[in-house]
Amino acid sequence: MRLILGLDAPTSGQALVNGHRYTSLRRPMREVGALLDASAVHGGRSAYNHLLCLARTNGIGPARVAEVLDQVGLAAVARRRVGGFSLGMKQRLGIAAALLGDPGILMFDEPVNGLDPDGVRWIRDLMRSLAAEGRTILLSSHLMSEMALTAERIVIVGRGRLIAEATVAELTTRYPSLEDAYMVLTADSVQYGAAR
Amino acid sequence: MKAVLSSEWLKLRSVTSTYHAVGTAALTVALGIAWTLYVSALADERGTLRAAAPEQGFLPLVQMSLAVLGVLAITSEYATGMIRTSLVTVPNRSTLFLAKAAIVGMTTFVAAHAILLLTYATSRQITSGRHLGFNEVSFSHDLPVLLASGMSVTALALVGLGLGAAVRSTAGAVMSVVTLLFVLPGIATYLPPPWNTRISTILLPSLVPQIAGQRLSSRLGDGFLAPWAALAVLLAYPLVALAIGYYQLKRKDA
Repeated sequence: MRLILGLDAPTSGQALVNGHRYTSLRRPMREVGALLDASAVHGGRSAYNHLLCLARTNGIGPARVAEVLDQVGLAAVARRRVGGFSLGMKQRLGIAAALLGDPGILMFDEPVNGLDPDGVRWIRDLMRSLAAEGRTILLSSHLMSEMALTAERIVIVGRGRLIAEATVAELTTRYPSLEDAYMVLTADSVQYGAAR
Repeated sequence: MKAVLSSEWLKLRSVTSTYHAVGTAALTVALGIAWTLYVSALADERGTLRAAAPEQGFLPLVQMSLAVLGVLAITSEYATGMIRTSLVTVPNRSTLFLAKAAIVGMTTFVAAHAILLLTYATSRQITSGRHLGFNEVSFSHDLPVLLASGMSVTALALVGLGLGAAVRSTAGAVMSVVTLLFVLPGIATYLPPPWNTRISTILLPSLVPQIAGQRLSSRLGDGFLAPWAALAVLLAYPLVALAIGYYQLKRKDA
């Protein structure tokens, strides 16, 4: 994901978004919304100012900021400093940032890690509704049970190599569960595993 | 570019550290008033004396505070991880860095000149007819040194921004600025002559008097640089630091 977003440089090859390098996009937030690390925010800024700083870079106005804050349920704490937010609230803030440009592609890295059941369900429902609107959602996770509930297509990567690419249905017919599929497929790619 | 500039301007305005830095720099006005009242009282006792001008004596406070502002503009983003969020919204690193430099440059330029002029004006009001040395020349005579002082503040803030982008650490970048502003000049002064003056002449604190055509200090005497050359060296400091910072930002993974 970091390579796609131009944060890291690949040793070889390239990643394209809609046929273009991400770094060459003029208004990237309108094409791709990404949340890699919810804690990657300046704790001294209010939620509203944080989002407005991001929005302005892509010519997005304050009305849209208020809209996404409402959508993720942070409207009431919009003027509070982000530093005092819980992990769940920061996760919501990060999702609000990803949604700012109303992009057709969304990328989330481990979006439900460390969330309470309420937050997990909220994100699951949000992902589904965003996908139902016709958006592409790329989600990385190690929570196989969660992926079995959320995802349509699964890509398994191990040690930087593609191991499998299939639909959830395909994997669950071949293996007892998605978790079993993951364990069997990645057995050869475990770098630091406990003895089994 | 305009969009990124407005974002960077909001970033600077929406954190308290900016107000702390500018507030600390603005203490110069209060300190200048206190200093002037003190030397004025002394002059009332003794008649005439030669005191340092407050806007010169407290200049290092303005330089240091606003250099920290320049450092924090980039290192606070590395410390919090915000830089990755910023680079996802502005993937063109040149644009992001240029916008940051422009906003830091303009903010510190305006703040420094406002603080220095206010210090100048209030102290000259207080001294009225007394003979204090620093208040006996006209404003037009003092203008070059005032402008050079203000520019030195912006130069240091941009040096801070450039070094901050290079080392990605607040402590490291602040220490580098302290070295340039205080440590190196301190060491250079005590080198055996003529090397003390030769080295000092190109160090940051010596550039302000040379741009205004004044001597460096009673110990070091006259510098070797003509006003235009001193100005060129003053501009070279931030340019070199920004180039190093830009190179590191561009080359390394965020």
